[in-house]
Amino acid sequence: MKDIREDIAWAQINKDVLKSLENPRKLYWVILFIAIAMVGVAVGCEVYQYNVGLGVGNFDNPHVWGLYIATFIFWIGMSHSGTLLSAILHLMHADWRKPIYRFAEAMTTFSLMTAGLFVAVHLGRVWQIYFALPYPNMRQVWPNFQSPLLWDAMAIFTYLSSSILFLYVGMIPDLAICRDNMHPGWRKKLYTAIALGWEGTDRQWRNFRITYLTIACFLIPLAVSVHSIVASDFAMSQQPGWHITSFPPYFVAGALYSGCAAIITLFIILRYVFKFEEYMTMSILKKIVRLTFAISMVWTYLNLVEYATVWYGHDEAAKHLLIQKATGTYAPFWWTMNFCGSVVPFIMFFKRFQTHIPVMFSVSLLLNLGMWLERWMIVSPTFADGYYPWTWDHDQWPSFVQWGIVFGSFGWFTMLFMIFCKIFPSVSMYEVKEMVYHRSQATKKLQATGKLAATGKGAH
Amino acid sequence: MGKRHLLALFNNFDEAEAVVRELRSVSLKGFDASKDMIVKSPIEHPEVEEFLGNKPVRVQWFTLAGALGGGSLAFLLISASQGNFFAQMKGGKPIVPFPPNFVLTYEMFILGGVYISVLGFLICAGLPARRSPLYSVKVSEDQIGILVKSDEGSSTALKSIFTKHKALEIQEEAGK
Amino acid sequence: MSISTLFENYSEYRHIHPVDDVPHNPYKWAMAIDLDACSGCNACSVACYAENNLPVVGREKFAHGQAMHWMRIERYWDEDGREFPDQGARFLPMMCQQCEAAPCETVCPVGATNHTPDGINSQIYNRCIGSRYCSANCPYKVRYFNWWDYPTTDNVWPAEMNQQLNPDVTVRGKGVMEKCTFCIQRVTVAKNDAKTQGRLVRDGEVQTACQQACPTSAITFGNLVDPNSTVHRKWQAQQVELDKDEQTKDMAEGGSELRGYRIYEQLRPFPSVMYMERVRESAI
Repeated sequence: MKDIREDIAWAQINKDVLKSLENPRKLYWVILFIAIAMVGVAVGCEVYQYNVGLGVGNFDNPHVWGLYIATFIFWIGMSHSGTLLSAILHLMHADWRKPIYRFAEAMTTFSLMTAGLFVAVHLGRVWQIYFALPYPNMRQVWPNFQSPLLWDAMAIFTYLSSSILFLYVGMIPDLAICRDNMHPGWRKKLYTAIALGWEGTDRQWRNFRITYLTIACFLIPLAVSVHSIVASDFAMSQQPGWHITSFPPYFVAGALYSGCAAIITLFIILRYVFKFEEYMTMSILKKIVRLTFAISMVWTYLNLVEYATVWYGHDEAAKHLLIQKATGTYAPFWWTMNFCGSVVPFIMFFKRFQTHIPVMFSVSLLLNLGMWLERWMIVSPTFADGYYPWTWDHDQWPSFVQWGIVFGSFGWFTMLFMIFCKIFPSVSMYEVKEMVYHRSQATKKLQATGKLAATGKGAH
Repeated sequence: MGKRHLLALFNNFDEAEAVVRELRSVSLKGFDASKDMIVKSPIEHPEVEEFLGNKPVRVQWFTLAGALGGGSLAFLLISASQGNFFAQMKGGKPIVPFPPNFVLTYEMFILGGVYISVLGFLICAGLPARRSPLYSVKVSEDQIGILVKSDEGSSTALKSIFTKHKALEIQEEAGK
Repeated sequence: MSISTLFENYSEYRHIHPVDDVPHNPYKWAMAIDLDACSGCNACSVACYAENNLPVVGREKFAHGQAMHWMRIERYWDEDGREFPDQGARFLPMMCQQCEAAPCETVCPVGATNHTPDGINSQIYNRCIGSRYCSANCPYKVRYFNWWDYPTTDNVWPAEMNQQLNPDVTVRGKGVMEKCTFCIQRVTVAKNDAKTQGRLVRDGEVQTACQQACPTSAITFGNLVDPNSTVHRKWQAQQVELDKDEQTKDMAEGGSELRGYRIYEQLRPFPSVMYMERVRESAI
């Protein structure tokens, strides 16, 4: 099974990908419509919450954080696989990344934008959100640089803008193709403007290669630092269940995990919707599935390490919390999370299922369900069973407002993502050409040496 | 004497390479291979750089400057803002605490590096650029283009080199 | 300008409080609460509602955990099988412990909560954006968030009741965090009076609302750095030191007979409230 057919004509690649900008399957519009309807739900809930106060989310006094923070971490986590994997695979010259990295990076960008919204949704006084920005002012009042939330803001800003630049720089040659081939209209004007007059000259390519490589080098430590910093929101605090040394790597592994699962989901959707069967091949799916399985085991390990260190750590409060997670109010969710995160991935162990589209689609959704629950199980139980006895036995259930906004965020992400894929080529044309070119060269070389070897043998 | 542009399109890199090698060895009036020849290709192709000869890339200096600038700016600005006249103790930590400042310095180091690299890319690659006088949409599809600039008198010689190496198409700037 | 301030005061900006720092001078407000005297009557809590314009949220929101009691009386029972009339509750009045190294301060993204020079953990309502990180990181969970816009909610301060709001204290709108301030409005008045008369605040000159209302005088409030103040003498008698995460008396073999302790000392927040353990039998 080959990653890609080597004899696809370059002109055909252009044609196939550009077609995705014109006429996708009907399902595209169905998905977009559902996504917009979901956003509508969230907007309604947010307007209500904005006007009445956060009380409508059913928060209460010791239990001040809820689904918003959990879902915020979820979206930040989801953003990790796109750019990080793309950058790592680029540095390692793994050329099978080429047909899939564009949409993965778009996933990064849009899930970060979704996560950013949760920061605002979570705030009690969102209209004062600019207080958290370090802007010079006459009174010399600055945000508190000691707060992990501020590191978060800085890290997310850096990651979001760098990811957008990475995505954009990598897309310039493709934008030039769009410019050259699209029929006149607003889109042609847009492509002409943002392709910056790219013509593929040697000078442009030379600088392009170095720049792309440099940004990739920066993005790897950046992506790792972003989720470590999100982990610091918890690990830097003093609460049981949060104050855990292994949190940063645990969060990074979890982030990669949910991101990879999301890549599988989107891979399957895009492949069908935009008829990308030639480019998003089963062989590539198999590679991502195997990668996801490997990461799922890393996550499982770190998860177990967390339990084990808490169990043997003699920190009464943390131990009490762990027991409460497994037996208390949150037990059903906690067990579902462990099941989805550590048991379900074993389906990917079987070769037969690795390329089975319906199975992989449902598995990837289950994995992300598990990862979402994981974030909730990090945030909420600590409030219900923290240090202070007064907070114990105090159950809190998120209201429809919280659930509605979380639900709508999935629509928001899907909406942005789908619109992006319709306006910009979601498969990198020039890089698929490179992939086809280099692979066919390699095959030719192999055939040549093979022939030589064969004749050599014959001579004796 | 007027300058003229010629654009020839080729089917593959081997032909383009042969043309480039020949152009670099010939001496024609008003044509300097290192300045007046541009190779356009639909994919990034390191061999092009090899047969074009060594041309320096300076983006990495922008990167270095950006990263160092971003990092030091962050540390200074953050420490200075913590040490302003409202300096107030928080959580018993020093007013200028190093660990958080290092975290932010790290982020700004990367931010500066990435931003200034992209700026450097735009400057070094000469983008946004005006479209060159001759351009074919075939270049963004599957053909390799060679754009040369020479004195009017030399264009015939150039054309014959292109044709010798199986140029698919030769475009010529409209006469003045 | 900021940069020159930074360089001039650099060494001052680089020490850790309170362990390698000079004590606050001339004021460090602190409390001592005698649990032996506390009868759990809730007068302190009521006084706090009246003094600090706390919203009365009503039965439903109270049951939901959205009450705004800065001062709360917690009840604890022994697990020895005795039922209610045989066993009375142990009471613990709990309010902001005004930690010297407060976990809530470092995590606020906008710096809305700070350590003041007289040793109080201040809360700036105008600056608060409602991220609630302070409450999440508070070991005592004594911070209360305005989940609703109480000033405009029905029956929080019904028509005539708003006449009794304390004019020295603001009412808080929705989306800000609040907590016990050690009655900062009273402290400020006393400090200003003392300043105009060119002296320091005398012991007993300023009382917190809870202290004033306590029928058994279980609460003592005062300036800890003043060697003659009641609160200083109580802390000294109980051998509780502000800047220790474990008291010397407790490290001695066999522990200590003295009753004074601070809650969650081992987490190193260095709280400013000392409790004195109850010695009488718990049945009332």
